[in-house]
Amino acid sequence: MKTNENSRREFLATTLLAGAALAGCGGNPFTPDEVTDIKPSGEMVKLLSVDGEIIEVDKAFLKPVPEMPPVANSEARVGIPGKKFAMVIDLSRCKSVKKCQTACNHMHHIHPGQNWIKVYPMQESEKTAPYWQPTTCMHCDEPPCVKVCPVDATFKRKDGIVLIDSDRCVGCRFCMAACPYSSRVFNWEEPQIEKEIAEQPYSCETSVPQKKGTVGKCDFCPDMVRKGSLPHCVSACPNGVFFFGDILEDSVTNGAETFRFSELIKDKSGYRLMEDLGTKPSVYYLPPVNRNFPFENKEASEEKKEKA
Amino acid sequence: MEKSAENKIIEDLLPQKFGKQGTIWVISLLAVCALGFYAYCRQLYYGLEVTALRDYASWGIYISNFVFFVAISLVGSLITAVLRLTDVHWSTPLTRIAEIIAVSAISFAGLIIIVDMGRPDRFYNLFTHGRLQSPIIWDVIVITTYLFISLLLLYFPLLPDLKIMIGFKERNGKYLQKLYEFLGSFWKNKPEQFKITDKAINILSVTIIPVAFAIHTVTSWLFATTYRPGWDSTNFGAYFISGAFLVGAGGVLIAMYVFRTHYKLEKYITDEHFNKMGKIVVLLALVYLYFNINEFLVPAFKMKKAEEEHLMGLFTGEFSPIFWFAISASMLVPILILIFKKGRTPKWAFFAGILVVVGSWFKRFLIVTPTLLHPFLPMHDVPKNYMHYFPTWEEWAIAGGSLAGALLVITFFARIFPIVPIHETIIETDSHEKA
Amino acid sequence: MRKHKLIQLLVLVIALVPSILMAQAVEKNSLSLTLKYYNDNNVTHHLLVLAKSKIDGKFQTVPNIPVEFYITSDADKANLIGKGKTDDRGQAVIEIPPTAKVEWLKSPNQNFVVVGAATKKFDEGRGELAITKAKIKVDTADGRIVNAKVVALVDTTWTPIAAVDVIVGVRRLGGILNVNETQTYPTDSSGGVTAEYKRDSLPGDQKGNITLVASVVDNETYGNLSSELVVPWGTKSVYMTNFDHRTLFARRGYSPLWLEILAYSIVVAVWSVIIFLLVQIKNLKKLGVE
Repeated sequence: MKTNENSRREFLATTLLAGAALAGCGGNPFTPDEVTDIKPSGEMVKLLSVDGEIIEVDKAFLKPVPEMPPVANSEARVGIPGKKFAMVIDLSRCKSVKKCQTACNHMHHIHPGQNWIKVYPMQESEKTAPYWQPTTCMHCDEPPCVKVCPVDATFKRKDGIVLIDSDRCVGCRFCMAACPYSSRVFNWEEPQIEKEIAEQPYSCETSVPQKKGTVGKCDFCPDMVRKGSLPHCVSACPNGVFFFGDILEDSVTNGAETFRFSELIKDKSGYRLMEDLGTKPSVYYLPPVNRNFPFENKEASEEKKEKA
Repeated sequence: MEKSAENKIIEDLLPQKFGKQGTIWVISLLAVCALGFYAYCRQLYYGLEVTALRDYASWGIYISNFVFFVAISLVGSLITAVLRLTDVHWSTPLTRIAEIIAVSAISFAGLIIIVDMGRPDRFYNLFTHGRLQSPIIWDVIVITTYLFISLLLLYFPLLPDLKIMIGFKERNGKYLQKLYEFLGSFWKNKPEQFKITDKAINILSVTIIPVAFAIHTVTSWLFATTYRPGWDSTNFGAYFISGAFLVGAGGVLIAMYVFRTHYKLEKYITDEHFNKMGKIVVLLALVYLYFNINEFLVPAFKMKKAEEEHLMGLFTGEFSPIFWFAISASMLVPILILIFKKGRTPKWAFFAGILVVVGSWFKRFLIVTPTLLHPFLPMHDVPKNYMHYFPTWEEWAIAGGSLAGALLVITFFARIFPIVPIHETIIETDSHEKA
Repeated sequence: MRKHKLIQLLVLVIALVPSILMAQAVEKNSLSLTLKYYNDNNVTHHLLVLAKSKIDGKFQTVPNIPVEFYITSDADKANLIGKGKTDDRGQAVIEIPPTAKVEWLKSPNQNFVVVGAATKKFDEGRGELAITKAKIKVDTADGRIVNAKVVALVDTTWTPIAAVDVIVGVRRLGGILNVNETQTYPTDSSGGVTAEYKRDSLPGDQKGNITLVASVVDNETYGNLSSELVVPWGTKSVYMTNFDHRTLFARRGYSPLWLEILAYSIVVAVWSVIIFLLVQIKNLKKLGVE
């Protein structure tokens, strides 16, 4: 009897494996990839050394990295090699100052009223504690928005970032319906941006300029990351709520503090939003514990006043 | 059959010129279309800003109209294919009505999807950059396929009629004559030709059923492949198809009545047809009701947090008037009317048909928008007008224009071609008499 | 000399009058410029300016301000070492160029000046910085010990400096990860700090190399100093990706095989029926012509 059961199990396992092989997945869901380090640009600059000597340095090795032209569309669709980005949002620090939102809106020239970063007043139930929950795009590892895009206008890169090509998007808004985190916004009208910016060629990595009739969302600022800097929301937050980093380096930073990612998540019981949906987000949350400031929902109290 | 009887049938069923009523009808439809076109020009210029669609309610009456069109187009396969394959002969005079409804609805389904796009100028991207993983691409493929099959199913039975029409050169006028000759001058009533068309129609009848199921199942997957409360349902394909058959049959009831009274076809579209179609509608409404109970009762029994807001919005909240109207108009009342023999008389059946179609239109709206207004995370950090949806005049005009357009196609088709198949009616009457 | 200055002032006033008149409608905001000095690995060094302004009672960063960097003082145009424009974060950076050589070698102490030009919305701004030339050097000892030493130029000799806070860590994206729990170490009388590397199996590059960094941050006297050293103390990182796998979320042409097989076989089957029927129409036509 027992052997029978075993063989049945084995049979099931082999058929499942066969199915997986057919799906092109194999046993391991991931394959190793070649990693390239910073390549010299070949462009040399003459500088004065600290010791007062005149030296020649390749531009690519300068820190901070000088302003580079945006990468080509084909490169932007593949991503930064050897990286896998993640964000940690510490809810115990968020007071809804919304500097993240302001900075993000400003840097990406988002339509007035719309936001890529939303700061939700959350309260799971009547007697549980209220807290602020900022949300960015979750840059899911199995992104439901990318699954449904009919034209490759939104895509998942090697470095884990999900981006939008506004020159490709047909504006069907299926991705907006598919995203359970409501992180996508739509350009319902001609974006109200300065002519100078509107005339720039669109870059998937800067998400600028936004275009009429297409979708926009948080992009994890890969243009900043290429320069070695942090996304705008991370550096704008006065309370250090946002941590950003490369999971392959196992560290995240808010600029002032740097933590080992795995330790931080372990020590503070980090979690992801809507884990049950199987989207595998790249954004982790630290629970809103040990807060030494009150939860003040100014917007809600203002609304109440207005009604009264 | 006697020659005179045959001539009488032909005389009765030949397409007629628009009368006074017909002209008014066409002009008013054209006016609605023109208004819709104007509204669409505005939308092209200003963008989707002219609609009431916003980040949360990002799909509105365009998409519900699309679903409605796809739904009603399924009737072609029901009346023509299902009834033909089951050897039901009474439906013969209704086949062409059903097929033209299918063709015009599916064409406008395609158009309204383009209307909903933020960048219709990039429509070609669907072909140059199409991703097979996206259900939208499946929909594009399957709608195109269904349109072709429906056109063929309209065309093959039309061939013998075309020959009859070509015979009335003077009556037709120059242009129509040219059209008839272009379409069917090769038809010589040869037995070999009949053999080919009979075979073709049988093949089509078999093929159209899975394709029709596919178009509406795939359309339901546009919703069911997402996580949202109200859409996240394994019941969705069957739910959509049953609803589609219902609205299609309701549409046929309306069309039957209109053509019968307007073209004086009482002899061909008889009370018995209404009786039988009425019974079919009752059956379909019951099936659809069954799926509705599944779709709402099961989640309502559990009342998961995400579903609760959505369901309560439908049952007692913001959308409850439309919800209860749609449920009663598309199912309950028509069942109550058509279950009685007196209710299956032409006038009552016509009324029930209108209820079914109107109720079903609103039902589609309820499937699309309320779900979007109940996302997982609460609606926040958006302007206040983003949190509600009521269509603007442009949306009503465009949606109305598309409906008027579909009706225009049907109207013009009935002006040009016999809406009740002449040849098949002659054959049917013949075999009837012989029997 | 005095007369000269008076004339200058007069010219300035005359030059400013029209703009003051113009500006009456729009109240200009004052501009504050903060200048920082960075010594990068004791080789190159750069200056960073941060432009801020109090707008509506809040300090905000100001982009698009044209700035000029001077060494020693801005009185002499010859001391101009670079120009820039603040970016979207209100920052501008220049590397110290060869033209600064003469001034740089004059003294162990060095002044820098940044001047922000007046714009439509902002007044002219000015920022100054005085630093003492200093270096930090990072080194390792057995047992994964990191040593760092801070020295400053006193007259012509590099002298160890005590009581300077030093961060010892590993270079990571956007920040420095401390080698252990201690945030900063003050230097002892010999200018040195010692830190034990306690990061267990921290991922390095493909070869397992990590970059150690010792740095002094925003020191009032010495500015920002940093020094790097590559050591093989990390674990080899293995970069995995499913980018080229056939998944539902992959790009065009990378859909799962089961989907492709299913979809294409259905499409082929149905369309071959349609094509067959179109051929039948042709046959009908042939029959009609005969």
